[in-house]
Amino acid sequence: MTEPLLSVEDLYIRFKTYAGTVHAVNGMSFHIHPGEIFGLVGESGCGKSVTGLAVLGMVPYPGEVIAGRILFHGENLLQKNRREMEQIRGGRIAMIFQDPSASLNPVFTVGSQISRIIRHHRRVDRHEARALALAGFEAVGLPDPARIFRAYPHELSGGMQQRVMIAMALASGAELLIADEPTTALDVTIQAQILALLNDLRAAQGVSILLITHDLGVVAETCDRVGVAYAGSIVETGPTAQVLYQMKHPYTRGLLEALPRPSHRGKALQSIPGSVPSGLDLPSGCPFWPRCPEVMDICREQKPLPTRLDEVGHRVACHLYSREGQR
Amino acid sequence: MSRWEYIARRLLMAVVVLISVSIITFLIARVVPSDPAAAWVGPRPTQEQIAQAARQLGLDRPLYEQYLRYMRDILTGNFGVSIRTHQPILRDLRVFLPATLELVLAGMLMAVLIGIPLGVLSGAGKGSLLDHLTRLVSIAGVSMPTFWLGLLLQLFFFSRLGLLPLSGRLSTEISLTSPVVPITGMYTLDALVAGNWVAFKDALWHLILPAFTLATYPIGLTIRMTRSTMIEVLQEKYILAARAAGIPERTVLFVLALKNAITPTLTVLGLSFVYSLTGAILVEVIFAWPGLGSYVTDAVLSVDFPVIVSVTLVVTVFYVFINLFLDLAQAAIDPRVTLQ
Repeated sequence: MTEPLLSVEDLYIRFKTYAGTVHAVNGMSFHIHPGEIFGLVGESGCGKSVTGLAVLGMVPYPGEVIAGRILFHGENLLQKNRREMEQIRGGRIAMIFQDPSASLNPVFTVGSQISRIIRHHRRVDRHEARALALAGFEAVGLPDPARIFRAYPHELSGGMQQRVMIAMALASGAELLIADEPTTALDVTIQAQILALLNDLRAAQGVSILLITHDLGVVAETCDRVGVAYAGSIVETGPTAQVLYQMKHPYTRGLLEALPRPSHRGKALQSIPGSVPSGLDLPSGCPFWPRCPEVMDICREQKPLPTRLDEVGHRVACHLYSREGQR
Repeated sequence: MSRWEYIARRLLMAVVVLISVSIITFLIARVVPSDPAAAWVGPRPTQEQIAQAARQLGLDRPLYEQYLRYMRDILTGNFGVSIRTHQPILRDLRVFLPATLELVLAGMLMAVLIGIPLGVLSGAGKGSLLDHLTRLVSIAGVSMPTFWLGLLLQLFFFSRLGLLPLSGRLSTEISLTSPVVPITGMYTLDALVAGNWVAFKDALWHLILPAFTLATYPIGLTIRMTRSTMIEVLQEKYILAARAAGIPERTVLFVLALKNAITPTLTVLGLSFVYSLTGAILVEVIFAWPGLGSYVTDAVLSVDFPVIVSVTLVVTVFYVFINLFLDLAQAAIDPRVTLQ
């Protein structure tokens, strides 16, 4: 296979707060190939959003990356200076967020916002920027681009706002789009349209997408490969079909069993007992052991390393499958 | 409602405000125990002289009639005559109002140029060294007595360094060699328009210390106000999104965030502008600046009611227009604000 476009390697991020040190990301590793949609799934607080921000060098204060590498085209982004990152952000790696209505600046027209980004990255004049913006609006399926260009954000619907955000993100020719819960704030039909749009853009422009979500349905519909994050690291990863239909990790299994299903109508919903560990006080060994139905002695002491299960890249970090666990 | 319709309605309301203000001021100035007729005549008047003056000034008429006559005169551009100095008030205002405007506008300009950038930067770097320094500066600016600061500045910049003039609006030799022809009455502006560079520089040098003394209070307010709204705005998602799009931090702070944060600061600046029109008295006294503050203070002390009412009306007009301007500005800045 080709060299990955982005690879996050053994990333650790911590936040020093008054309450103590929060270990938000603990050895997160995954990679994304050119033209691929990779889903990073997990519950709130599993470190998926902060990982997305870390790729752009934007871990919010008081957080800091303490170890690991983030390679983009083989170059470590963690070693870039501020000016280099201002070129990469929005230019080569773009990001969109959960709530499009809050992501657009209310006191500037949509056109002035997208033009500013285009002009920052492409060094073109006002007219060229406008032409590029209108083309971008058309590419994301917005009707009447000239009207959208003049409009203020509050004059657009949620779905249109998210399309505008995507157009802004891609207007400067980004190769990687980080989409942090891009559909969570939208209603279901609009959600489906936005996901279809992301799929189309991948096909038409070859853009790779890191899709951060808690929604396994979104993953099943959109992603080529998926990584399931728990307490700041990936517990299971691989092609979407393998992970969702031949899941190995007890956490992944628990997540999927917790989904409501028509065939289970009338029965109580399953849930994983216990709750997500706080980053302030992580259990030793495997972070999932206090909630795991198949916990063994080794799980309490040693953090499992990812074990490769097959030829298509399905990996799982669980002692049920590790060499140490088999002894 | 269109913008012009809105402006027309506000102006109509302004007329109502002006009439009310004139009635209230007129009444207050007239109910205080004082005898304008006696003051008009001068020291040691006879009863006859007082009675004659009262007739002459119309003071023997009923109060409402006096008021109506006074307002009729004002509407025809006759502001009347000062009881104390017998000078036409309009002529006085032509001298004192521009002098005050020059001082206050220069002070407001300083507040904008110093207060807003410092407020933006301390809001962006909350808890930084700069933030602590500007907190100190603004607390000092807001709480230090004006006259004390003015004296200190004079001591330092005039006595010690000899850099800036002590007081007045223009040096005597300049006013003799290259006099400023009054157009607006603001010397710096008039000298600039006339291309009179020598006088411009001299007038500007005279303006710096009093304007800065006057500006310290609004600078402090502007810093604190801008800082706190900036801190709020910088939490917004659209700021994160702009940074994620690679927009340079300078643009994020001074364009994208500031436009969202500026409105409360403008309101504070507008209010301190109006307040300073008559509130600059201490600065005017210390720097021998012939302005509205000293003029109206003298009038109040001698119950010179035509001057009091005239100045109050002038200040009210400014107040009304500044408020209208602020509301229009707010609507221009934020498209979600509707004028109604």
